[in-house]
Amino acid sequence: MTTAPPVAVIETSPQEIYDIELVRELLEANAALARDNRALLDRYGITAVDIMGGIGSGKTTLISMIAQKLKERTAVVMVNGDATTSTDLDSIAEQGIPVVQIATFNACHLDANLIGKALARIELAKTGLLLIENIGNMICPPEFPVGARARVVVISVTEGPYVVKKHPHMFLGATLVVINKIDLADAMDVRVVDLMRDVHRLKPDISVIPTSCRTGAGVEEFAVALLDI
Amino acid sequence: MHEFALATQIVERVREFVDSHRGDRDVLKVRLWVGELAGVEPEQLRFCYNSITRETPLQHSVLEITMAPAQVRCANCRYQGSPQYLNGAWARARLATLRCPRCGKSVEATVGHECELKSIEFVEAKLSVPATDFNHAVTKATPARRAV
Repeated sequence: MTTAPPVAVIETSPQEIYDIELVRELLEANAALARDNRALLDRYGITAVDIMGGIGSGKTTLISMIAQKLKERTAVVMVNGDATTSTDLDSIAEQGIPVVQIATFNACHLDANLIGKALARIELAKTGLLLIENIGNMICPPEFPVGARARVVVISVTEGPYVVKKHPHMFLGATLVVINKIDLADAMDVRVVDLMRDVHRLKPDISVIPTSCRTGAGVEEFAVALLDI
Repeated sequence: MHEFALATQIVERVREFVDSHRGDRDVLKVRLWVGELAGVEPEQLRFCYNSITRETPLQHSVLEITMAPAQVRCANCRYQGSPQYLNGAWARARLATLRCPRCGKSVEATVGHECELKSIEFVEAKLSVPATDFNHAVTKATPARRAV
């Protein structure tokens, strides 16, 4: 993408209307910061995963479970975006996982600038896997890459049968999709295979992992998939 | 997306340009190019733009938004071109997917995420026509002399 092309003005007589080409990529500021973050993470050999999904889809519980599973295999660090509380952070810190909270207050997504600041607070040399929990939101996070190597979308059967159809942009930018709370599928009258089919209609080759934090189904598979990214 | 933040950025970039040249200038038109995968809502963006340009040198300007169709490339079958769209039961508007129209595998978008300020049209302020005559002025200037 062009960032700052030269602007040449051909002077015309004053009555005329000037028409100036002025190519400026407006989303470039965040993209450039995301590239910086990525370069820094790569330099330290860190795998960063941006975990997105709606409010209450189970992102925190899943992260807590995979951090527990993986902490013997790699140095797990977590960055948590949360509007006001540190509730999530406290429960994960209790497991001995280093956590940095980004209190986002009125923001509805994390961006590369916020993640850059969080990276400055992390012992990068002692980090293997960085789990970034984005703010619960199914609309804008995909437009703001943070520099992660993979972007995971966590949905749950409790969000209803049309959750994929209603938020297609979330899935177009994803590298991995998790369908959580599958133990509640019957109660919700939602078919997990239908949700998977919807995801694959948008992006055919993407991995979709059904999980349940209550029964533990699929959680190991999800954890291992993150190590392979 | 974040139409208000985007509108603010557009106005900043345009004013940066206008301020960097001597003489007052009235901006008539700002042309924006938005990829269909960028997640920008044109109606909201126009509303935000009009709200924040009120009583500024951009107040009479028109934000012209061109929605640019996506282009995809398939690593599997080498297809290059328009994406496969979903509509009907899925979406009221045409929805671009990342499924290859030829082989059905995942494709990569090569075009579609852009949001570019393309060009601006302006007149020297001291000679500018009243706002009511702007339509006339725009018509008269076609084709406008173009900077390269």
